[in-house]
Amino acid sequence: MLLSGDEWAIVGLSLQVSLVAIIGVLPVAFALAYLLARGRFPGKVVVDALVHLPLVLPPVVIGWMLLIAFAPHGIIGALLARWLGITLMFRWTGAALAAGIMAMPLMVRSIRLSLEAIDPRLEAAARTLGAGRLDSFVTITLPLARPGVLAALVLGFARSLGEFGATITFVSNVPGETATLPLAIYAALQVPGQETAVWRLALVSVLLSLGALIASEMLLRRGRGRDRETTGPSPHVL
Amino acid sequence: MMVPIQLRVQRRGFAQAVTPSIRRDMGRYFLLLRRASGVLALLLALGACIPPVFAAPKAPLVLAAASLQESMTTAAEAWRRHGHPRPVLSFAASSALARQISGGGQADLFVSADEDWMDALAKAGLIVPETRKSFLVGALVIVAPADSRLRLRPAPGFALLRALGGGKLAMADPDSVPAGRYGREALQHFGVWDQVSGQVVRAENVRAALGLVAHDAAPLGIVYATDALAEPHVRMVGVFPPGSHAPITYPLARLRTSTNPEGEAFRRFLLSGEGKAIFRRYGFVAP
Repeated sequence: MLLSGDEWAIVGLSLQVSLVAIIGVLPVAFALAYLLARGRFPGKVVVDALVHLPLVLPPVVIGWMLLIAFAPHGIIGALLARWLGITLMFRWTGAALAAGIMAMPLMVRSIRLSLEAIDPRLEAAARTLGAGRLDSFVTITLPLARPGVLAALVLGFARSLGEFGATITFVSNVPGETATLPLAIYAALQVPGQETAVWRLALVSVLLSLGALIASEMLLRRGRGRDRETTGPSPHVL
Repeated sequence: MMVPIQLRVQRRGFAQAVTPSIRRDMGRYFLLLRRASGVLALLLALGACIPPVFAAPKAPLVLAAASLQESMTTAAEAWRRHGHPRPVLSFAASSALARQISGGGQADLFVSADEDWMDALAKAGLIVPETRKSFLVGALVIVAPADSRLRLRPAPGFALLRALGGGKLAMADPDSVPAGRYGREALQHFGVWDQVSGQVVRAENVRAALGLVAHDAAPLGIVYATDALAEPHVRMVGVFPPGSHAPITYPLARLRTSTNPEGEAFRRFLLSGEGKAIFRRYGFVAP
């Protein structure tokens, strides 16, 4: 209807890249968030800073680092190619990796805040009642962290949708593989007379991002309401 | 009639065999399963909507400088009408593409907007030397908004400053973008760079400089002839003679890693009479 077939394909690719990015990053983000929220170890400040690096570094720097590491001649890329036969170069999987890395700091932040808001006495109480370490984690910690995890997914999704600099530097601008919404908009901006296409794609971007941000705000608010009943002060993201 | 009764008896037997403590544990894990099932369903749905794109496409992958966007797209369409798979075109800055190739990126053809990046790849042994060809030559022009009546003839000391009338001169960044580098070289050649350099606005790329003139933000700009032809809101008011700057050439080469015969076939098409005619339509000189 509003969009042409090619433009729908761009939107579909963007959704695919962003969804795979956040689902893939979620376990890593959760582990890091748990480590930062609960762990006491030397060098925690350094880990914390490293996790936040993609948030503050220019995205082209991240893209260049990914290129060095994950290109077929890169350190990790060579191993991936030799052992698993996987290449990320010019592939949507590479775009998802770039988007996931860029979204990770926001996701870790959101999960970490909700983990920190959990009263540790609840877990301790579960332990005194005979629950094992894993049992209390699965039945107490995970459900209480759920609002943070959901907010992390939505925020990470919104961030992934907007990823530009790292993607074009790392995996180029290949239609159907790595040319997501921001790259397609940038390409259309280079061509005089493509303003209507730019408007349409920009509008889709605005709608998707707005939807994701409103969803994350609603999730947080719902989580906050529930927290008040159970654990008191609420996590607040950003 | 017998079967349901038997079933009921069996179920009662099972329930009695389960001790209260096991039942409590099972209840807890069923609750967990129910909680997890939403996430599982989401993951499964995601898995189902991912198309199988892992297989390498038959169409060749062509990495081309961003300034070739319209002309190369037209050439790819023409090639498709000849019954070949339409080449996949990735447009980005020549520098970004060259770095991706150096990193081991698998593609078939590379068209660079300057010879330096192609030289770098040649030195690294990443292109097939005998397939390299400087197949397009660009021209550098001065543009003004479409309603301008101006006419400029670039020559030593020509009246660029007066033509600007205090406005800005839009051009790509002379320190990092080839189009800007050629522009500064040409203005220095005619000895007017020092007069106008204070009024130059440096755009991130040549199309951004074009946009500044098209939207009346600058009365004059220096761009390629191809850019001027692509934008109806500007008019070419002057052309720099070829001797006033280094030759603007677009080298094309097949990559060492290319195994797709379609890549070489498309390269030959680009160099053919029909291929060159397409690029001439967009303002290139094709020798």
